[in-house]
Amino acid sequence: MSVRDDFQPQWKLALKWGWLAFAVFILMAPTFYTVYISFNELGFGAKYYIFTFQWYESVFSDRQLIGALGWTMLLALITLPIVIPFGLLSAKLYKQSSKKVWIVFVLLSPLFVPADILASALLVFFKNLNKFFTFIADFTGFYALESWFDLGIMTAVIGLIVYTLPYVFVVIMITMARYRNEQTEAARDLGASAWRAFWEIEFPQIRAGVFSACAFVVILTFNEYTRTSLLKGGFDTFTSVLISQMLNTGMSEESYAMASIVSLVAIIIVSSILIFTALRSEELEKVTRKVKEPNK
Amino acid sequence: MIVFFVIPLALTVVWSVFERTMFWMEPAFTLFSYENFFFSSRLENFLSSMMHSSISVVCAFFIGFPIAIFIRRRVKKVAQHRVMLLFILPFMVSEIIRIFALRPILSRNGVVNSFLMDMNIIDSPISIFVFTPTGVVIGEIVSFLPFMIFSTFLALEAIPNYIFEVCSDLGVNRKRMFLDIFFPLAAPGLFAGSVFIFVNGIGIALIPTILGGPGSVNAGLIATQAIIALDFPLAMAVSAIMMFTLMGLLYIGHRLFNLTKLLEPIS
Repeated sequence: MSVRDDFQPQWKLALKWGWLAFAVFILMAPTFYTVYISFNELGFGAKYYIFTFQWYESVFSDRQLIGALGWTMLLALITLPIVIPFGLLSAKLYKQSSKKVWIVFVLLSPLFVPADILASALLVFFKNLNKFFTFIADFTGFYALESWFDLGIMTAVIGLIVYTLPYVFVVIMITMARYRNEQTEAARDLGASAWRAFWEIEFPQIRAGVFSACAFVVILTFNEYTRTSLLKGGFDTFTSVLISQMLNTGMSEESYAMASIVSLVAIIIVSSILIFTALRSEELEKVTRKVKEPNK
Repeated sequence: MIVFFVIPLALTVVWSVFERTMFWMEPAFTLFSYENFFFSSRLENFLSSMMHSSISVVCAFFIGFPIAIFIRRRVKKVAQHRVMLLFILPFMVSEIIRIFALRPILSRNGVVNSFLMDMNIIDSPISIFVFTPTGVVIGEIVSFLPFMIFSTFLALEAIPNYIFEVCSDLGVNRKRMFLDIFFPLAAPGLFAGSVFIFVNGIGIALIPTILGGPGSVNAGLIATQAIIALDFPLAMAVSAIMMFTLMGLLYIGHRLFNLTKLLEPIS
């Protein structure tokens, strides 16, 4: 239970809620504005507003945007099966390890390193790796390694893994916090293998966190610009198309519509996860209360 | 993470002393890139971006800290996380979309100026909201405020309720409660949030590019411009300076506040 001050005037409480709502509104205002413009037949900067779905209909005829969307989806689909197991293993390692400071440092510091700085460092790192492998290939005659780290899908995926792993780690950690390790120990005592104990006992209880982490990875991949644009090589991603339009010719109405679709899809996915987890945790609390106090 | 995060960042120090060639760099030991950074207008730009980031940190503190305290103190325990999650939603929308949409909102003919003029608060449009340092500060606050709220709330969440109850029973006034309880106990979260905003403020090129106008440059922009100009040692020198700034701040923060405490509620 939170501590509540019964003597606080209602207007003060309302004022504080108002401040909170105002902050959320300000943070969401740019997104709302993008959605608002996307429904205007006259587009951005027009004096009048005529509601239309026209731009949404024509979004799918913009080949550049659709192509970029396809590349971005491909990046997300490749990143996902790599980063989720990494996140799971990292969370388990963190829980079992006594040297938590180092694990936290390595896993969470990418959150603090600005995108441009990390992307620049990775770009030079990959170029150097390429030179190194070319030298090895020339020296040994084994040319399969030669262009491994050419800028392309693999380097972009590596950049995305470094970017998304901290988020996956934190989301999985939050769900793992509720899991009691004694359950795994009991399963192991009864003869289950480590994998079976994880898959049949632990995983069902942290499944919600794992799926949430998957959703986060896809959304973050769609939102990421700097790392992917420096590391992707020759193809376009959704955000690189948007930014080139924004800075060079100004955003087209189709881009507003596409930005709105991506934003709204992200908001709907995250809201659904939040509502689902909130309902589930309430249900779990009810069950726990019933077990603790069966007569109530 | 060690191969693709720690090593590349650590190697920036090595690459920063390499010599620049026409399209790449070659092993050498020269401090030319650092001279190029410290004895040019780049240093001035870097320092002014530090100042803007510091202003953003202070603004985010005054906006975000009361919100985190309010959620921790006044919202029911079961609803606290749900209210916090309201601040996740803006984070899930692309930063590019959020930052770029601020342009039409804050411009001379934008939504804010139109609203203020319609309400007769101002007579003529205010032009300092975009393409100025103020625009950069606004962009940084809109982009990074949720992180200040998350990290502070996480620190406050670790405070047991009985502390508030004891204070309430002893009749501790609000000022002392803030100075003696909230502020020191939320310090790890405040510090983590501040470092995040400060470092990203000086390191993310997108915000000054879109909202800052022609003279607005930060470390991230210097690094990316150096890469475009194929001056890789300079880009690596800027990265190394940023990395040392970040590591120094995190080390001081960890020594002072033990930042791993922040993860206690979820571990």
